[in-house]
Amino acid sequence: MSQQDPSTINGGSAVAMVGKDCVAIASDLRLGQQSMGVSNDFEKIFHYGHVFLGLTGLGTDVLTVSENFRMKTNLYKMAEQREIEPESFANLVSTSLYEKRFGPWFVGPIVAGLNSISSKPFVCGFDYIGCIDYAKDFIVAGTASEQLFGMCESLYEPNLEPDDLFETISQALLNAVDRDALSGWGAVVYVITKDKVVKRYLKTRQD
Amino acid sequence: MSINAIAKKYSYKTLAERELEDANEEYEHFVPNLSTMSPSLTLPPISQPTEFLRAHTDDSVNPECKIKIAHGTTTLAFRFQGGIVVAVDSRATAGSWVASQTVKKVIEINPMLLGTMAGGAADCQYWETWLGTQCRLHELRNKERISVAAASKILCNLMYEYKGMGLSMGTMVCGCTPKEGPTIYYVDSDGTRLKGDMFSVGSGQTFAYGVMDSNYRWDLTVDEALYLGKRAILAATHRDAYSGGSINLFHVTEKGWVYHGNYDVGPLFWEIKEKEGSFNNVKV
Amino acid sequence: MEVVLGIRAKDGVILATSKAFTRGISVLKATDDKTRILNDYNILGFTGEGGDTTQFADYIQANIQLSTMREGTELNSKAIASYVRYELAKSLRTRKPFQVNVMLAGLDKREEPFLSLIDYLGTRVDLPYAAHGYAAFYTMSLLDRHYTPDISVEDGLKLLDMCEKELVKRFPMEFKGLLVKVVDKKGIRVVKGNE
Repeated sequence: MSQQDPSTINGGSAVAMVGKDCVAIASDLRLGQQSMGVSNDFEKIFHYGHVFLGLTGLGTDVLTVSENFRMKTNLYKMAEQREIEPESFANLVSTSLYEKRFGPWFVGPIVAGLNSISSKPFVCGFDYIGCIDYAKDFIVAGTASEQLFGMCESLYEPNLEPDDLFETISQALLNAVDRDALSGWGAVVYVITKDKVVKRYLKTRQD
Repeated sequence: MSINAIAKKYSYKTLAERELEDANEEYEHFVPNLSTMSPSLTLPPISQPTEFLRAHTDDSVNPECKIKIAHGTTTLAFRFQGGIVVAVDSRATAGSWVASQTVKKVIEINPMLLGTMAGGAADCQYWETWLGTQCRLHELRNKERISVAAASKILCNLMYEYKGMGLSMGTMVCGCTPKEGPTIYYVDSDGTRLKGDMFSVGSGQTFAYGVMDSNYRWDLTVDEALYLGKRAILAATHRDAYSGGSINLFHVTEKGWVYHGNYDVGPLFWEIKEKEGSFNNVKV
Repeated sequence: MEVVLGIRAKDGVILATSKAFTRGISVLKATDDKTRILNDYNILGFTGEGGDTTQFADYIQANIQLSTMREGTELNSKAIASYVRYELAKSLRTRKPFQVNVMLAGLDKREEPFLSLIDYLGTRVDLPYAAHGYAAFYTMSLLDRHYTPDISVEDGLKLLDMCEKELVKRFPMEFKGLLVKVVDKKGIRVVKGNE
């Protein structure tokens, strides 16, 4: 079996954005084996209480890491008698990734959520060994990250209402993955406001 | 002897230069000074041009290579009762970057001949256009249209001359002549040349074969055959990451080729899924 | 160039594996069975590096049977898939990882047909139809075209025949036909290939 770059075997992309008293996080649904599409049902967004995590990269590590965080956030909840906040979760992600500094998880995580006390929107991203990248506007990850940067830089504006934020993040993701051979095959978008979370699947090109 | 003539005697000529010169000599009295109008192939001024090219452009040898040549395609052609159907996708990729969704992968060599394009986009475009001029020269010389066999052989011989120099193309030369009938030749850059009834070339070939083999019959009607060609490419664009964009359809008969339109895979996929009740792996 | 191919029908699951056991340039056996029965309603198909495959499959089989004896109840398909994935993902980051691709076919909770594709990295996806290796390149487009979710096992077997025909026609290597097993309410049975 030829040794290949682990972060591009399965493909996939994710993006998160901050709006006015809301955040949005979205990913594509493709999982491939190099050039061949295998699954169009591989969601890369996970949530732990009110914190949302997008995981792109090597498929097996996306599964393992998401399960690890499920365990860790459940233990946190039992110890603290409350759900974890986005800021704390970001630090948990960072230390968990750095723990594997010399044999890393090949993932590109992004975190999005609203602080349950202050309702302050929070998004951040990481490199695969845990360096946190805090952002005020948006965060991108995955094989279409360059395209996503281009879309976000041009479409994003601050203080969008939830509906407009949904439109912006959807268009950014859709148009970015259409220019990446390894992403696409459907998409999912979460818009998170103080009192509700709206999950929508997008109808996308299937090539 | 003029200094130019001496310099010319000792200068290196590429194969294409010689080819063109030969053609020019014969037709010099028709077209004055053709050589200044035609391009020629230059080689980099280093000891091993082929190795240099491979190291910097072949991503199967060096995945880090900085120059990524457009690759990845699905093309097909098959013979049936009513002639030949040619169908292709339109995506060009450089690595995982989708460089274009609107590439023309069928090259109209002349009103009777079609060539398909898989592999290096520039290689196919250049040499199949070149093939068009060769076919025209043949007509002028022999006062007769070139056969598909001869046309494909010209291309094949050229490919073989350049073997090992890093050309990359897989093509189907399709046409119809009175003595041959509808004919397909597969020609690729290692110098292979095959006559056959059904070919598919490119990274998505296997997916196209899957659909074609299970739905093909010799006595397909023209409409059925065009649909099968379209459907086989659609299958490939769906599963193969490096195929997509839109589908171009052609029908070849004794009267020449007829273009049957461009179909964007975006809407076409949902239309066909609904009509056939297929693609049940995809949720609506 | 081994074949493992699965189709999930509405009333059962079909699992087909190639019968050739090939090492180097020779076919050593033409009646190989690349499956293990895990319990009454679940089977595991596998391909990959010789040695690793049988060792891994036997290990999974033994542990599933142990669990059945200890707990007095059978694990359902999702739990088995989760366990197999965990073992492969764990093995991946060791000095000598198992190079085994598997496919789990079964009736989840003895009711719901279930098919899971897991590669040697531990990438798991649950699918209506799936194949490992090069076979997928030929059969997926065919299944995309002809598969429907309400397909019966009987029609599923016809679909499988189409897939086998295509593989025989286009696959560059001899795989000595398919051994076909079905899991449905009646349990596990061989339907073709053990003549």
